[in-house]
Amino acid sequence: MIRRQEILETVSRVVAIPSCAGKAAALLGDPAAEMSELARIIEHDPGLTANLLKIVNASFFGGGKPMRTAGEAISRLGTLEVLQFILSTGVAPSFVHRIDGYDLAPSMHLQHSVTVAMAARELGKALGLDAPDHTFTAGLLSGVGKILLGVYVQVNAKAILDLAMEEGLSFDQAEDAVLGINHAEVGGILLESWGLPPEITGPVRHHLRPDKAPEIDTVLDLVHIGNALAKMIGVGLGVDGLNYVPSVAVIQRLGLTAEIVDRVCANVVEELRSVRHLFVQCAEDACPL
Amino acid sequence: MTLHIVTISDMKLSSASEDVIVTYSLGSCLGVTAHDPKAGVGGMVHCLLPHAGAAREKARANPFMFVNTGVAMMVRRLMDRGAEKRRLVFKAAGGANMRGDNLFNTGERNFEALGRLLERNSVTLAASDVGGVVPRTMFLHLDTGRVVVRSLGEEKDL
Repeated sequence: MIRRQEILETVSRVVAIPSCAGKAAALLGDPAAEMSELARIIEHDPGLTANLLKIVNASFFGGGKPMRTAGEAISRLGTLEVLQFILSTGVAPSFVHRIDGYDLAPSMHLQHSVTVAMAARELGKALGLDAPDHTFTAGLLSGVGKILLGVYVQVNAKAILDLAMEEGLSFDQAEDAVLGINHAEVGGILLESWGLPPEITGPVRHHLRPDKAPEIDTVLDLVHIGNALAKMIGVGLGVDGLNYVPSVAVIQRLGLTAEIVDRVCANVVEELRSVRHLFVQCAEDACPL
Repeated sequence: MTLHIVTISDMKLSSASEDVIVTYSLGSCLGVTAHDPKAGVGGMVHCLLPHAGAAREKARANPFMFVNTGVAMMVRRLMDRGAEKRRLVFKAAGGANMRGDNLFNTGERNFEALGRLLERNSVTLAASDVGGVVPRTMFLHLDTGRVVVRSLGEEKDL
């Protein structure tokens, strides 16, 4: 388990993950920019959302309930000046162009993260659940551990995949076998270390294995299936592909059928078209995630 | 050479021999190519779901989202460009599933929908690379009708 310790030590050193901060900062510098457009960019970017929630939940702005969505955070902060401070100081200098270990091209991980978030939210709607707003945030951040492992630890995903294929394991089980930890757990631990509330860190940490979570949580269930649907849709697939196991217990608990799943996938693909320009923006040099 | 990129629920065709049509990141979606070597025209469709019945309004707006309407519409467009149905060579890739998934089975249902459609039209699928848990990228080279599938860094001809 030496590798696990090394990874956990790396987690403790990571200040922030790369994000579309450049684009957001440019918007902040434009007097004609719409606040709603800024909120939209932040809401669809895992790095910015994580940074924003990290800062807004820090003791400096303390008091009151922990913030769980970018929208809540923005309305809490209120002024552009404060937000600019956050964006200019909260982002790590180590930008990346691709997540090598997981074979993810620039912007692919962002696309996948947004698709998970949309699928989780859309699924909640299709099932008539009154899912909390932070379902979107939890879905968006669910894959954050992959960035950390791929960029900061440089895992050899090929070795993990080979083991998965040879032994018939899911990718996260193979990560456990090779690294002593899987990317969902890494993501959860990272966000916990940043002080994000358990309503978000719990679903991130357990999104690949909801059956192992300490308690039943609708947000976790939605993110778990949202992640499966995003992979089926095929947006931003890495080397791990569709090599994950959907939980039978969650499928039964939500009352999912193939018809519901098809409808949700169709809606998500349609919704993705409306945010395509964000992906293009985020693939630009200023924002190389 | 122009590279035509087919996104999800999209179709592209070309009759320029130097062109290549590609679709990236096929998960449970099904990529289907049809090529008429004599007319020198070919197309590729990237279908999300098997049947338009899943969302009829969406099928009207975008038939390429579904295998049954998407492949049929692609064939119609190819015929408009001079292809003959009996000469078309069909190949398919994608249709993966989540590991251990016995409910959604979207990939398998997509491939079954293609099989039924082709059978009704007395057409045989020339080649396919479907199923499993791996993502796939699919290329159609218009000069020869060659179809290449790339998965996990390895390429093979279909």
